[in-house]
Amino acid sequence: MTHALLVDDDVELRTLVADYLQRYGMRVTALATGAELRRTLSGGAATDTFDVLLLDLMLPDANGLDLCRWVHNTSSLPIIMLTAQGDPGSRIVGLELGADDYLPKPFEPRELVARISAVLRRAGPGRGAAAGAPLSGPPTRVGFKGWVFDRLSRELRSPQNVIVALSSAEFRLLAAFVDHPRRVLNRERLLDLSRAPGVDITDRAMDLAVSRLRQKLGDSPRESGLIRTVRGEGYAFDADVKAVS
Amino acid sequence: MNEAPGAGLKAWWSRWFGDTLFRRIFLLMWSALVASHLLAFTVTRQVHAPPGEAPPGGAPLPVLPSLPPMGAPPARPSEAPGGGPPPGLPPADGPGNPGAPGDGGMPAQALWLDYAVRFVAIGVAAWFGARWLSTPMRQLADAAEGLGHAIGDGRPAPLLDVQRGTLEVRQTAQVFNTMTQRLRAQFDAQSLLMAAISHDLRTPLARLRMRLETMDEQPQTPRCVADVREMDALIGSVLGMMRDSRAPLERERVDVSALAQSLVDDLVEQDQPASMATEAPTAIVLAQPAALQRLLGNLIGNALRYGGSASVSVAVQAHEVRVLVDDHGPGIPVAQLEAVFQPFYRVESSRSQATGGTGLGLYIARDLAQRHGGRLTLANRAEGGLRAELVLPRA
Repeated sequence: MTHALLVDDDVELRTLVADYLQRYGMRVTALATGAELRRTLSGGAATDTFDVLLLDLMLPDANGLDLCRWVHNTSSLPIIMLTAQGDPGSRIVGLELGADDYLPKPFEPRELVARISAVLRRAGPGRGAAAGAPLSGPPTRVGFKGWVFDRLSRELRSPQNVIVALSSAEFRLLAAFVDHPRRVLNRERLLDLSRAPGVDITDRAMDLAVSRLRQKLGDSPRESGLIRTVRGEGYAFDADVKAVS
Repeated sequence: MNEAPGAGLKAWWSRWFGDTLFRRIFLLMWSALVASHLLAFTVTRQVHAPPGEAPPGGAPLPVLPSLPPMGAPPARPSEAPGGGPPPGLPPADGPGNPGAPGDGGMPAQALWLDYAVRFVAIGVAAWFGARWLSTPMRQLADAAEGLGHAIGDGRPAPLLDVQRGTLEVRQTAQVFNTMTQRLRAQFDAQSLLMAAISHDLRTPLARLRMRLETMDEQPQTPRCVADVREMDALIGSVLGMMRDSRAPLERERVDVSALAQSLVDDLVEQDQPASMATEAPTAIVLAQPAALQRLLGNLIGNALRYGGSASVSVAVQAHEVRVLVDDHGPGIPVAQLEAVFQPFYRVESSRSQATGGTGLGLYIARDLAQRHGGRLTLANRAEGGLRAELVLPRA
């Protein structure tokens, strides 16, 4: 059974969220302050009892971002930030400090459940290996052929230092490509990799996203540039991808 | 009342004897002039002391050198008949002509030396004196400039030293510091207000949203959920506006076409009737990416909300990038085309419909356009529908 640790200073919201999550078969332990959180988690063994931390960033006694960093450095507990601030800046900072996901208040209750499941799926069963390990998964900023792709700020920068905006579909596609450079990805695999909650991607939509992405990356359809079509198989990303600081 | 005379006396004392601008200027002029006189006199005496001048009757009172000997004009014409060169010119006052013997003056060379010494002395005094006087004012001006930058960057503003400088400058510094502190307090209050709005309005909204989900489904529930979303959007707009007005714009080179395309594609993915003209050229402007995205998002969102559809096109001209967002809605009465840019203004027909706008979208959009050195206008299209035209300077 999933055991969620919820930290929020609003007593009613705590009860409501706890009740709601229990419907989905989760156990919820609710805390009101950052001090309680530190006490609960510094027990060491306590880390193993919880599966996910739902952390409000605006607590009366602590800076949520500091708490987030502390939890990330001392345990491997996945963190979902809940915040009423909702500005893009705090989202990026939170994710950089080790939060796994971010949900602005007021959130759609089902969205919360979906995010918890997604985070748990990503954390996987082998969680809890090394405390304070760097962010699991691929690096957040990568470079290829002069381009820089930042996953957190969802920003693609051209070799001429121009910001090229990406749609959500293009973003997911490019993220899938840079994670699997120089490998042929067939349609099913690409659809699977670029899946987003609540969005059905059709083959046509994916082809469109691929052609748009090519256009934005300056690839002409004829000569194979960054995204190569492998006839009858799928697409391959033809560039070396390096982590960029 | 008992303190009034003391305070008055103190004010009077500091007015006349304190370190005031008045005293500085007075002291400066007075001492500079006196010093130059004395110096000139001393030097002239040293160099041109007439030998054996001292009469037996004792030392006569030294004749202080004065301004050019204009005081004896009647004597001159008789000496230099025919309107000769004015006094003081070297040919007329050569060494052979030891000046007018009768007027108690001095030889011409001595007079020139006297002038030169005064000239230099007053010049030097004026130089240092002007710096002495202007330094406090310059510090004040620098601090005022720093205040502007600090407010622009959201940093705490520098405080002035109220112990140095003249009384006037110190008083001004005090006023300035009070003003700075008030401004800072106001900005802190604004941050507090922003935090309060975010936290104290969004937390109850989050509770409401949770309650709606845990309640038994009623016919009204979806509408309540929509209301929650609308309020959240409004809070988001107000917060975004407050953030925009405070944060400096960090500009980068942004491709407007790619941005518009990505916004349209995202909407299409959500089955919204948005479209983009094919073959959009690369259109690079200097902009803050998030702000530009909000600007375009507002325009496209408005077209969808009030016009039922949005078609976007981007054109690049010599010095400008032109973005058009067209819809097929009813348009806006001509008389209200400007008024809709006011915050919370709504065209009457849109108010009655459940359109869900915040009334801030166009206001924010125009503000952002202007902050990027561009302009935003609305017009009814001849073929029906509204056209929003955004013009930005090309990078």
